[in-house]
Amino acid sequence: MSGRKAKKDDDEYVDIDDAIDTHENEDNQQGGYSWEEEYKRSWDVLQEDAEGRLSSVVAHLQQQMKRRRLLRDTATVQRGIIRHLFLVIDLSEAMNEKDLRPSRLELTLTYARQFVTEYFDQNPISQLGIIVIRDGVAERLTDLSGNPTDHLRALKNKRNQETSGEPSLQNALDMACASLVNVPSHGSREVLVVYGSLTTCDPGDIYDTIAQLKKEHVRVSFVGLAAEIQVCRTLCKETNGKFELEGKVELVQALTWPWCFLYLGSYGVVLNEAHFKDLLFEAIPPPAITQTRNTSNLVMMGFPTKSNDLHPSFCVCHSKLTVGGYICPRCSSKICELPTDCDVCGLTLVSSPHLARSYHHLFPVDNFIEVPWSGINSLHCFACQTAFESSPPPGAGLESNSGRYSCPRCHNQFCVDCDIFVHEVLHNCPGCWAAGSNISTVQIHSKKQPALQTDVMPMEGVTS
Amino acid sequence: MLDTATSEDDTNLLVAIVDTNPLAWQQSATAKIPLSLDDAIRQILLFFNAHMALKHDNKVAAIASHIGHCKFLYPVTDAETHRRQANPSKIAKDANAYPNFKDVNDDIIESLRSLMADTDTPQKNLNDGTSMISGALSMALCYINRITNQDDLGRIKPRILVISVSPDSPYQYISIMNAVFSAQKMSIPIDVCKLYGGEVAFLQQASHITGGVYLDVENPQALLQYLLFSFLPERYARNYICLPNKEQVDFRAACFCHKRIIDIGYVCSVCLSIFCSWSPVCSTCRTKFAFRALPPLAGKGRPAISRTASPAPSTAASPGSSSPMSTA
Repeated sequence: MSGRKAKKDDDEYVDIDDAIDTHENEDNQQGGYSWEEEYKRSWDVLQEDAEGRLSSVVAHLQQQMKRRRLLRDTATVQRGIIRHLFLVIDLSEAMNEKDLRPSRLELTLTYARQFVTEYFDQNPISQLGIIVIRDGVAERLTDLSGNPTDHLRALKNKRNQETSGEPSLQNALDMACASLVNVPSHGSREVLVVYGSLTTCDPGDIYDTIAQLKKEHVRVSFVGLAAEIQVCRTLCKETNGKFELEGKVELVQALTWPWCFLYLGSYGVVLNEAHFKDLLFEAIPPPAITQTRNTSNLVMMGFPTKSNDLHPSFCVCHSKLTVGGYICPRCSSKICELPTDCDVCGLTLVSSPHLARSYHHLFPVDNFIEVPWSGINSLHCFACQTAFESSPPPGAGLESNSGRYSCPRCHNQFCVDCDIFVHEVLHNCPGCWAAGSNISTVQIHSKKQPALQTDVMPMEGVTS
Repeated sequence: MLDTATSEDDTNLLVAIVDTNPLAWQQSATAKIPLSLDDAIRQILLFFNAHMALKHDNKVAAIASHIGHCKFLYPVTDAETHRRQANPSKIAKDANAYPNFKDVNDDIIESLRSLMADTDTPQKNLNDGTSMISGALSMALCYINRITNQDDLGRIKPRILVISVSPDSPYQYISIMNAVFSAQKMSIPIDVCKLYGGEVAFLQQASHITGGVYLDVENPQALLQYLLFSFLPERYARNYICLPNKEQVDFRAACFCHKRIIDIGYVCSVCLSIFCSWSPVCSTCRTKFAFRALPPLAGKGRPAISRTASPAPSTAASPGSSSPMSTA
């Protein structure tokens, strides 16, 4: 319950400056800094309504904030589903600053734990490793592995939470790059750096490291806690390159703009705690693939069956006596849990729900469109049966928002809570799936091949 | 997964998804042990009454999963209630009936009647005669989300019961799994009562992943007994009562090319489709794959000539593994 209360607080947290700045920035200057722009009167947003109350304005702002998080890219593009991500955490002196509550370090570690859980929830067949930097040395906390408990245990360990000295960006990136070199080509190679300091203490030329990262196709993203650093910006720009999304060219220069978190941000500087969490969690959905090389492979994977023995036997992952487990189909050794790589023969072992968890990244739900009063066709939400307002409030025109959001495919109308729920948690439009109209066509676009319509949907787990 | 602790004082919300696929019910009514939709609904309504009788604030919702669309049977919207109250002739006042139960029963019966009488349903694809279970699950989850958000005390503990007579529909696999993972994240168990229609692997996986009860009813005439014994206990009581579930759920996948269940398969890294043998092009997303070095053929000496498109060596034996032994 405390988890839910905390979430409610997050939702209700409305920062007027955020609401103003980002909206205006996306329309106006590209690449400008806030001190170069017009002086903003953020207090003018709060206008009292006819009865002298502010509550409706605040509610409206809250709704806007809620929906703004939703509008994301729903193009069906190739995404790197099998990911290998290194999380680099800066443990230098600068992380003891208390400008983020309770301190930068504690907040980073809290969010890192939530990040690990969420990452494995959304990408079950991916791997994660953690590197920390302090005293000019990079230390590998955990290797690349698919098991979240190892990472969580390492993050909880008190010894790993001490800060000292200066960070060294080059050492951390070299270490990450060296491990990522061994990753097979079908997996994506990513590094996510949480950087709190303004300096770096490197043994050599960081541009050599940048060149090597580019050569190995490693993609680096930054979350800056202090301010924007030119070297970091260059790093992100060089390693990400340009990529096309359905004909729209989305330049990475836009991504390195510190206040802009609506795009697939690869460099962001945090404004406040909530923004920090948003930036960090942006790395969780699989990124679109940049077609610089043919990275697609048929990966051999095993689907083990569960064995229910009466007598305990040894497992090969921990060498402990356990009752029951999974049997690797290639070498018949017993494994405790999935997904994992078999320790004996190296085969990737998954079960079909793990693959199914990633399908919603490939077939996302279209964003719902706001319906003005002139276009309403129902009095209650299709999914949860909440009653809508039946007529516009006095003073609102026919084109103002009626609180209804409609799916572009099935044209059913939903309330704002269902809209958020469908896009963030459920990933199914109830209208489309309850009406049977558009089930069988799925289009998968990739940059080089033409769009393909397929009628075959996966039929898995059928025993007959 | 949310760690929600249950207690005796919880309010339990039961969202029941009733499969009203008329084709399957017709077959069930003429099966060896017949059970028609009328008999089944009578027993299901008694079960709802029993659920509401356990505690004064237990709640019920019912969704019908029909062949072309889904509909809420209970609770009905205000507009619909007004319309029904305008026709008082259908509903007789009975002094001996407990009004709470009677309201629920009457609303559900009336909604079902209008559902069955309505032959106007837009059915673009008949979807091989299966009901829209994924749409019903999605609507149930949205309704639960709304009730949970309105509940300030955190006392409402929802669960979903699916009463199913139709076979699996492969078209709905992805959406059913999406709904199942959402239910798992929200700690909502999905119970399945299978009356007729053979093995349903998707619903078995659903109940296994969410920790719900799965029951294959052998004697459908005794449906009420099965419901009261296996599906009535609420989430708190499940800590203490041993309920049936399917021990051996088959999580293996079927290959896309032959629909055979496979132990080892090849997965396209772009669209995650599964094949039983290697091919140079993925048939779903038409991605061309890089040729790998073939392993040396036994007894023939030299390995086949290979063309590697990517510099990173990727043999079949170690996909996706970065062992600690590799030099770093």
